[in-house]
Amino acid sequence: MRKGLAMFVAVVMSFMFLVSSVSSFAAGEIKVGIIDTYSGPPSSYALDVLDGFKLALNKINADGGVVGQKIVFVTRDDKFKVDLGLTAAKELIMRENVTILMGTINSAVSLAVSDLAKKEKIPFLVTYGKSSNITGAKGHKYVFSMNENTEMIGKAAAIGLSNRPFVNYWIAGDDYEYGHAIADAVWNHLKKIKPDVQLMGQSWWKVGEPDFTPYITSILSSKPDAVIVATGGAGCIPFLKAAKNTGFTSKVPIYMHTGTELSTLRPLGLDAPEGVIGTSNYYFYYPETPENRIFVEEFKKAYGRYPSFGSLIGLYTANFIAKAFEKAGKVDSEKFAEALSGLTIDSPVGKLTVREFDNQVMLPMFMGVTKKAPGFDFLIATDIVTIPADELMPSIENIKTIREK
Amino acid sequence: MDFSTSITFNGLIQQFLIGLSRTTILFIVSSGLSLVLGVLRIPNVAHGSLYMLGAFLCYTIASFLGASSLGFWLAILLAPLVVALVSLAVERGLFCHLYDREHLMLLLFTFALMLIFGDIVKAVWGSEYRSLSPPEVFQGSLSILGMPFPKYNLFLLCVGPLVALALWFLTQKTKIGKIARAAAVDRDMVAAVGINVSWVFASVFVIGCYLAGLGGALVAPTQNISQGMDHTIIMEAFLIVIIGGLGNVWGALLGALIFGLTASMGILVWPQFSIVFPYAAVVIVLVFRPKGLLKATW
Repeated sequence: MRKGLAMFVAVVMSFMFLVSSVSSFAAGEIKVGIIDTYSGPPSSYALDVLDGFKLALNKINADGGVVGQKIVFVTRDDKFKVDLGLTAAKELIMRENVTILMGTINSAVSLAVSDLAKKEKIPFLVTYGKSSNITGAKGHKYVFSMNENTEMIGKAAAIGLSNRPFVNYWIAGDDYEYGHAIADAVWNHLKKIKPDVQLMGQSWWKVGEPDFTPYITSILSSKPDAVIVATGGAGCIPFLKAAKNTGFTSKVPIYMHTGTELSTLRPLGLDAPEGVIGTSNYYFYYPETPENRIFVEEFKKAYGRYPSFGSLIGLYTANFIAKAFEKAGKVDSEKFAEALSGLTIDSPVGKLTVREFDNQVMLPMFMGVTKKAPGFDFLIATDIVTIPADELMPSIENIKTIREK
Repeated sequence: MDFSTSITFNGLIQQFLIGLSRTTILFIVSSGLSLVLGVLRIPNVAHGSLYMLGAFLCYTIASFLGASSLGFWLAILLAPLVVALVSLAVERGLFCHLYDREHLMLLLFTFALMLIFGDIVKAVWGSEYRSLSPPEVFQGSLSILGMPFPKYNLFLLCVGPLVALALWFLTQKTKIGKIARAAAVDRDMVAAVGINVSWVFASVFVIGCYLAGLGGALVAPTQNISQGMDHTIIMEAFLIVIIGGLGNVWGALLGALIFGLTASMGILVWPQFSIVFPYAAVVIVLVFRPKGLLKATW
């Protein structure tokens, strides 16, 4: 019995030693802590971000890193849950001694971690959370948005839709924060640009709704001119599939924010309907610049697939991090935050700037329409219109008034 | 509060038919759950996972056999059979040693199975969404009363009654069905007359799981095949079984009709708050008939 106990203690001790030796990192490394959803459906987006990030990081480190140090990262799975994300963030700050945090596809997690980042004075780069509150009402010195947000989507969609002849709209979407935020943003901006638009009705379904056919048939019976579909990641794919089966898009045009994105269209293959109007910040085939071509080539070589918008976020986030440390001149969280605010870098979609006022990255948006194309076993976007970043950024005055409230 | 004002008669019929086709899937899955619940007394939480497994297998078999329609039909046939085989292995290997334990243990065990199946699916198929096209004949939609109706849903409408008929035949007319019904009432008595109850349980379990797999395979072309589809269906299936009467297969049919039709009609009548309708129906049923609509076998 005593021998067994001694054995047990020995095992526990050696295990603890192992753990502690893993977490004590070599000097001369900049450590980035990544919290994201690596299990369940949202993980395909998170993994795209991670792969783009790794691609850029390998290059940076091969060139000797920044300020003489290599950039390394550790990942934590938040399972799309706020409490797990927050615990992981605390653990990364306390035990892993990370200099900066990044990640979180779930906006609720983004906002919770942002709060912690403010308290701990650790810069936090949100890669996929799309709530406009991140850099809007709840913005602060240490939080940065590397993604577009619902305000920007709404503005871009309104600009694009106002050029089309639709008057009577129907709104349908996922009954949660993101769905309503997108729908409200699109509708409010559209109403401002084109005051004669009418809202005929709305349908809201629960997140994870498996079958959209009954929703589509009920919308069709009201005969709107166009439908604004406000679904998040998981809802887009089954919605488009049901839209194809019912012939929805051939009768009523639909707008869906991520409807033309690779992450939505690739899994559907040729089951996606043609004629879906969608906005996206990135297509691997557009813009046709040498920088984009190189990125697509390198990404495809490394991972055997085309890069999505998530992969692009990963890429420029890594480059922003490297450039900010270079500008700061040393590994210091405070200096990093100051350096990143207002910084400009080159990217496959042109020059990108983190706006100094609210730390929101200024991304151009593209509006396109889905179509089958030779050479691809999935649909791509055509008739692409670019909406420049400065036209769709949330107004600084607005943010000032919200923050004062 | 904006009720949809433009509800037409054609719209109502259309919505009713769409609701019926969704009911087919709900009925197939929940009848399997009810069967296992009635005879084996196991609330099989892993039932939804087998449904998910059926959908993924259908996708894999169909894409392995190529894009032809034949591949799809073979997949619809084979996927539930593979699910049944898996469940047979689980029953013979693990479950059959646990029947004497209390219900809570069995419930925990099926819960563990749900987690394990979930992880297996993630390990094998990854976290990407999958999509399966319906066979060529059922692609696109027909015009019914001037409204588009997906052809595949029409096919589902025909499958539903067939499955119900087969289940009726199985439980009422075959020997195994009769023994199973007897075992549900008094398993000791059945054993006393010299019948191997253990194998009766195994066959009922396998049939129940086959139905879960069949539901998954049939639903595959109408939605995206992804992780998480197990959780959605198991919730709905349990609600249906509860309002229908625990362990009563016809209760499952009735429950599925109530659940499926209130859902689809709710979407037409009040699209903004349509989520509430099926759950409100469940509450109403339980207020008036706390033990379910039909006689429970428990």
